[in-house]
Amino acid sequence: MNINFPLDWFFIAILFFTGAYCMIVSRNIIKLLIGFEIISKSATIAMITAGQATNNMALAQSVIIVMIMVEAIVIASGLALVVKSYRLNGSIDIKKLMNLKG
Amino acid sequence: MAIDLISYSLVPLFAALIIPFIPRKHRRITEIIANITLLSGIINLGYVIIYYLVLNDYTSYTSDAFTTLMLFTIYLVGMAITFFSTYYEVEKDTNFSSYYSLILVSVSAMCSLVMSRDFFTLYIFMEALSVCSFALITSDSKTFSIEAAIKYFFLTFPASVLIIFGISLLMINYGTFDFDTIKFTSMNFLTFVSLSFIILGFLIKAGIVPFHFWTPDVYEGSYSPVSAYMAGIVTKVGGIYAIIKIVMLLSSYGFGSNLSKLLLFTGFLSVFVGAIAATVQKNMKRMLAYSSISQMGYIILAAATFSPIGIIAAVFHLINHATFKTVLFLNSACVEKSTGTTNMDELKGLEHRMPWTSWTSIIALFSTAGLPPLSGFWSKLLIILALWQSGHIFYAVAALIASVFTLAYFTIMQKKVFFGKLPEKFNDIKEAKYQLLIPVVVISLIIIFTGVFFNRVFPYFERILS
Repeated sequence: MNINFPLDWFFIAILFFTGAYCMIVSRNIIKLLIGFEIISKSATIAMITAGQATNNMALAQSVIIVMIMVEAIVIASGLALVVKSYRLNGSIDIKKLMNLKG
Repeated sequence: MAIDLISYSLVPLFAALIIPFIPRKHRRITEIIANITLLSGIINLGYVIIYYLVLNDYTSYTSDAFTTLMLFTIYLVGMAITFFSTYYEVEKDTNFSSYYSLILVSVSAMCSLVMSRDFFTLYIFMEALSVCSFALITSDSKTFSIEAAIKYFFLTFPASVLIIFGISLLMINYGTFDFDTIKFTSMNFLTFVSLSFIILGFLIKAGIVPFHFWTPDVYEGSYSPVSAYMAGIVTKVGGIYAIIKIVMLLSSYGFGSNLSKLLLFTGFLSVFVGAIAATVQKNMKRMLAYSSISQMGYIILAAATFSPIGIIAAVFHLINHATFKTVLFLNSACVEKSTGTTNMDELKGLEHRMPWTSWTSIIALFSTAGLPPLSGFWSKLLIILALWQSGHIFYAVAALIASVFTLAYFTIMQKKVFFGKLPEKFNDIKEAKYQLLIPVVVISLIIIFTGVFFNRVFPYFERILS
């Protein structure tokens, strides 16, 4: 099959690296979660592009709906973790979580 | 999904749904429901497996035999952990009803994962398993466990994005992601990239060496029975199982020479970095975590040969690892409960006070290091044979040398914790309750019997993985 990579893949790459940059540089755990959400969205768009390229949007759509559900659960439980961490440590700075060392 | 086995996944799920509705004061009922659910499953699966092992007759066996074996391992470790936590002192803050319900949901997710027949189902249940496990890590609500859970979250969830990228590239190439309908007719660039993305994601989930930074922290920081659960089965099924599945899929089409080099190198790195780092650790749980990394490297090395004997060795070592690592982590939990610490410099001479714990940990560590009558010896022998036969002589020798390191760090652990003269402050400690020893002793017996009756076990493995 001849695949010409459409413009989507550039957007996907840009979104992915935006999210990855956000996850690398920020120290605030909420910002890390936002970065994670951005890279998840780039994966969603990759799936849409795959469905469009193979003319199989039905499969791609059903996959994406399940993916969005999974992401919502992951982010919700991640936020619960942040709240629990804030109550115990009084801070949401990821650099202060350095108690476990070898 | 394998429809005829689906009840093994649905029954724990229903039990997990019932548990939150039980009033908090009836704690016993919660524990009984959780234990009975897993015990019934393990009796059922154990009957199926022992029936074929004893009779040695495989005429009526279906192709789902591998799935059945994985289900048995999951139920075995799940049962051991549930029974252990029932008698392990639960801290006051621990929400035990959510604890048992999460264990049952994660058992259900793992069973669905090994039953899945396409990449997307694999992804969904892997995510369900991860969410359950980081909720389980925080079950004692201490600073360490919260930190471990946050590290686990941020260092492994980006892997799922990589898996989705891989799946979408696979879909562009083949139009589907079903294991049965994908035909790997040619190993073109796009297939290589997509499979690399998927394997990379699962390697991060499994904690193989370039991505191992979360593993020691999580195993050290989490609630003690949970760290046995994580090391024993969760990371194996959530990460390594998928890699073995991909290897089985590719080797049936005769591809994988490029992926083989990649996997061999990560496996080699993992074996050595894990073994060397384990020798210098001071905390017992942290040392066991590095040992776990090293043993997972062996599984990857075996799978990376893409040969039938390599796959048998990988699956056999995965199951052996589930048994002996569960024993070692549960023993470390017993030691922590009796003495209040897992720091190996403070512990000494516990052999005189905790003989059962000491002897079961000797059995498990000899099995890990590969001493002859025990099950770990056979799986390591198969791994080295597979590597040698497929021409990777350097990696075979490296695996042999690293197993000497394994014996070295375990002997150091045993000497520091159990041997020597008992210090004054440990004079009044006692052996753990006999209920806590039951799962450990049963799994130790499984290790011994699997090793002694290897002439029966090997044809079984050969049969189910052909």
